[in-house]
Amino acid sequence: MRDTSTIAALTGLPEERTFLRTLADVRWGVLIAALLLSVAGLLTVHSASAEMDVDYLPRHALRLALGLLVCAIGFSIDYQVLTKFSVPIYLGGMGLLVLVLFVGRIAGGARSWLGVGSAQIQPSDVAKIATVLLLARYLAGINSRHLELRHISVALLAVLAPMVLVALEPDLGGAAMLVPPVAGMLLIAGVRWRVMVAGGLVAIVVGLGVWNFVMLDYQRQRVKTFVSPQSEPLGAGYQLRQSKIAVGSGQLTGRGYMQGTQSQLRFLPARHTDFIFAVLAEEWGFLGVAIVLALYGLFVSNGVIVALRSRDRKAMLLVVGLLSGFAFHVLYNTAMVVGLLPITGIPLPFLSYGGSFMLSNFFLTGLILGIDFRRYVNR
Amino acid sequence: MMEVREQRSELIQRIPRLRLAFSILLVLIGSCYWFVQVVQGGYYRELADNNRLNKVPINAPRGLIFDRHQRRLVDNVPSYDLLLDRSLASNLDASLDFATGILARPRTDLEQALASSRNSSQFAPVLIAESLSLSQVARFSAERLEHPEFDIDVGHLRVYRHGPLTAHLLGYLGEVTREDLVAEGSSYEPGDLAGKRGIELAFEKNLRGTDGERVVVVDSRGRPRSEYGSTLASPGTDVELTLDLELQQEAARYFENRVGSAVVLDPRNGDILVMVSAPSYNPNGFARRLDRSEWQALVEAPHNPLQNRALQNTHSPGSLFKIVVATAGLSEGVVDRSDSVFCGGSTTIYNRRFRCWKRSGHGWMRLREAIKESCDVYFYHLGQKLGISRIAEFARRFGLGERTGVPIAGEKQGLVPDLDWSLRVRGSTWYPGETISVAIGQGPLLATPLQIASMMAIVANGGLKMVPRLDRNAPVPAPVALPLDRAALETVREALWAVVNEKGTGASARVEGVDIAGKTGTVQVIEQKSWIDSEDLPFEHRDHAWFASFAPADHPELVVVVFVEHGGKGSRVAAPLAKILYERYFDNRGANRPS
Repeated sequence: MRDTSTIAALTGLPEERTFLRTLADVRWGVLIAALLLSVAGLLTVHSASAEMDVDYLPRHALRLALGLLVCAIGFSIDYQVLTKFSVPIYLGGMGLLVLVLFVGRIAGGARSWLGVGSAQIQPSDVAKIATVLLLARYLAGINSRHLELRHISVALLAVLAPMVLVALEPDLGGAAMLVPPVAGMLLIAGVRWRVMVAGGLVAIVVGLGVWNFVMLDYQRQRVKTFVSPQSEPLGAGYQLRQSKIAVGSGQLTGRGYMQGTQSQLRFLPARHTDFIFAVLAEEWGFLGVAIVLALYGLFVSNGVIVALRSRDRKAMLLVVGLLSGFAFHVLYNTAMVVGLLPITGIPLPFLSYGGSFMLSNFFLTGLILGIDFRRYVNR
Repeated sequence: MMEVREQRSELIQRIPRLRLAFSILLVLIGSCYWFVQVVQGGYYRELADNNRLNKVPINAPRGLIFDRHQRRLVDNVPSYDLLLDRSLASNLDASLDFATGILARPRTDLEQALASSRNSSQFAPVLIAESLSLSQVARFSAERLEHPEFDIDVGHLRVYRHGPLTAHLLGYLGEVTREDLVAEGSSYEPGDLAGKRGIELAFEKNLRGTDGERVVVVDSRGRPRSEYGSTLASPGTDVELTLDLELQQEAARYFENRVGSAVVLDPRNGDILVMVSAPSYNPNGFARRLDRSEWQALVEAPHNPLQNRALQNTHSPGSLFKIVVATAGLSEGVVDRSDSVFCGGSTTIYNRRFRCWKRSGHGWMRLREAIKESCDVYFYHLGQKLGISRIAEFARRFGLGERTGVPIAGEKQGLVPDLDWSLRVRGSTWYPGETISVAIGQGPLLATPLQIASMMAIVANGGLKMVPRLDRNAPVPAPVALPLDRAALETVREALWAVVNEKGTGASARVEGVDIAGKTGTVQVIEQKSWIDSEDLPFEHRDHAWFASFAPADHPELVVVVFVEHGGKGSRVAAPLAKILYERYFDNRGANRPS
C-alpha cells in the first residue's frame, strides 16, 4: 500500500482499487490509431527511400521506438504538474528558439535545428507544446462564458513571441503552425462573434503585410505557383504536378507496394517527408488513403472524447489545443498533397520521416492518454 | 473545491463544433482524393506512364552506294556527338568552360548550339558539338562523375570515300526541312537526316531504311532504368550504281585544272559510267550541318562548284549540232551524200555574209567531208534548205530541248528555238538569218552535256533512245525507236568515224585499234577576230570546247562527251580526254578488245 500511495503521490495516479479499471477505461483508440499510422509510416518510408542513398527505415524505426518511450513519459507526467511549471517550460522553449538562431543547423534554407551529434530537435516543436501548456493554464483561469479582449490579447502576445522567433529562422510554415492550437483553444474558451469578425479582418491586414514585407521571394513564389502551377514547371509547380500524378495514378487500389513509378523512379521530391502521403496514395490507392484518413479521424475523435470527459478546463483546453495542432497538420498536409493548398513544409503526423516532429506527436499522444487516465483523480 | 464551480458546460458545447469542422474538412479532402484517384485516375495513370517511358529512336543504318564493280563509295562511320542535359548542370557557365577546354573549339559555337535549342524541353539533352575525336570522348567519359550533364551520343556519319570525285553524283545529306516533316505520309522526325542532292536524294526511299524504337523506363532524371520494349531498325537498301569509279577518276584527273564536265554512257542500256563536273567540292565537309560561312564560301566560289555541270549547265552545242542537221538533211531528202557545196571561207545568204571557221575555205565539200572538216558553209546552205521548223523537229527527236529523265534532281532542259518559241518567249518573229546560225549550233540553241551524250547514244544506236540510268539493278526500260532514217544515221556515223580516223578535227582522240567516231565543237564566247588564238585570251573570253563521240563505231559500247568551259578548241582540249577514257576502257576490257 505504501508503495502504491507513494506512486500515487508522485504521479497523481488514482487509488489501487480503481487503477486497473481506470487503465482499461482509457481511450486507447488514440494510441491504437497512432500505432497503426506509425506502421503505415514505417512501410511507406521504406518504400519511399528504396531508391535513395540511404534506407530511412532503420532510423525511422529507431525514432518510433523512441517515440513510444516519449509517449510513455507523456502518459506518466501529470498534466497538473506540467501546467504548474508551464511558465518556466515556456521560457525554456523561448530560450531554445533564441539559441537556435545562433547555433542552429541550417536545413531547407532555415536555421531551425538544434543538434548534438546525430541527435537533433526542432525547437519550434518544443515551443508549440510549451505555448499550449501556458495558454491552457492561463485560459483555464478565466472562468467566464466569454473571453474579454484583454484575455485574447494576452493569449495572442504569448503566441506571437515564439512565432516571431520561428519566423526569424526563417521558417514561416513553422511559425504558422503555432496558430491552429491557439485558435482552437481560444474558440472553445469563448470568443464573441464580433471579436471573431474583427480578428478575421486584422488577420487579413496582417496577412497582406506579411505577404508584402515579411515573406521571401521563394515563399511568395510557392503561393503564386499554387495559383497557377504552369508558371514554374521546374520548381514548386513541378512538385505539385508530380504529387498529383502520383496520387491520381494510384487509382482505387494502388500500383502495389514499392511499385509506384512516381516515387520509385524519383519523380516525386520530398517523398519520404512532406509528400509521404503521395507515395502511400500511389501505392495503396484510394483504399489506402481512406483507411489512413479514417485512422486520423479515429485519433481525433477519441481525443475529443478525452477532452469532453476530462475533469477540468485546463485538461479540456490542453487536449483541444494539442488536437487542433495535430488536426491542422493532417488536414493541411493531405490537402497540399492532393493539390488543394500551396506547398509548404508541413509534415504528416506519424507518417512523415522526421525525428523531432514524430517525438512531439507521440508526446502529445501520451499527454492526452495521461489526461484521460487521470480524469477521476480528486473528483 | 474551486474546480467544482468551473465553467465547463460552454466548453463541452463548443468542442463538438470543432470536431464537426474537422470531420467535414476530412471528408472533403477524402472526396478530393476520390475524385483525383478514382474519377480522374486513368488520366493520371497515363501521365505517370508518359513520365516514365522514354522512346529512343534507333536510327536505321543508311544503305551503302557502290559503283558498277562493287567498289564502295560511301561509309557509315560512327560519330560521337556531345549532348548537354541542362537539368543536370549545376552551373551552366562552368559546364561550357569545361567542354570548351576539352573540345578546343570556340566557346561561342557551343553557346550558339545551346541557344538554338532553347525552346525545347529543359529535360531534353541538347546537341552542342558534333564529331568528337575518340580522345575527347574518353575525356568526357572520365569526367562523368564530375560532369554528369554531358553525354556522348553515338550516331552515324556519312563519309564519301572519294569526296569531290563523286560529290555531284552522290549528293549529300542534310537535316530534314519543315516541308519534309509535314509532307503527307512523312515518317521523319525533327533532326533526321535525308538526302539533299544527287543519288542520296534520288534514292532516299531505298537508302533510308526504317528506324526502330527503343522504349525504356527512365527515372525523373531521364536515366534509363530498364528496357520496356523495342522495335528493330531495318537498314536501308544498298544502291549499286552504273558508275565506273576508275573511269570517273581518270576523267576527274583531267579536269583538275579545268572547268567543265564529262559524261560517259553505255548506248546499249543507258548506263552512266562517268559523270564529272569540275570544279567540285568536298561533301564530307558538311556531312551533317554546314557552317554558314563555309556554305557562303562555296556559293561564292568561282565557277560555282555546287553546280552539276553535266546536267545543270546549258551551252550552245556548236558544231556538234551538225550531226542533227546532217541527219535531218539526209532523212528529209534535202541533200544527197553526193551533193557538194563550195566553201570559199564564207558565203552570203539573205544578204548577209556568213563565215566558215576556216578563212581560206574548204573547197568543194560533200556531206562526209563537211562533217569531217566541220565545214560551216556547207551547213549554212543545208540549214537554209531545211528551215528552222524541220531543224527544230529533228533536234527534238534527238532529245534536245527536253530532260533526259536521269534520276537526279535539277536537270535543265536546254532550248531548241523555233518560230513558236520566238513568238512566245521573245515576242518577235523568227528571222531566217537566225536559222543559218542554228545550222552550225549557234544562236539561242542550248544543251547540257548529258543531253549531248544522250543524242550521241541515239546516233550510235541507229535511232534507239535509252533513258540514262544510274541504278544498275533497276530494269532497263525498253528502248524507244525514234523516227529517224537508219541509212541517214549510218552515213552520219561513217562521217563521224572519219572525223577521228581520217585526220579530221577529232584526230587527237584517235586510239590505235579502236574505231572511234566523234565530233568536235568550239563555241565562241565573244565575237572575235579569228586570227587570235582563243587560248591566248583571258580565261573568261576563251572558247568552250566540245567533243562528243562513241566507239566502237560499228557496235558502240561507249559514248563519251567532254565539255571544257573556256578551254579553247574542241579538237585540242576536249578530244584528248575522250582518248584517255577510251584507252582505259578498252584496256580494261582486255580480251574483248576489238583487233
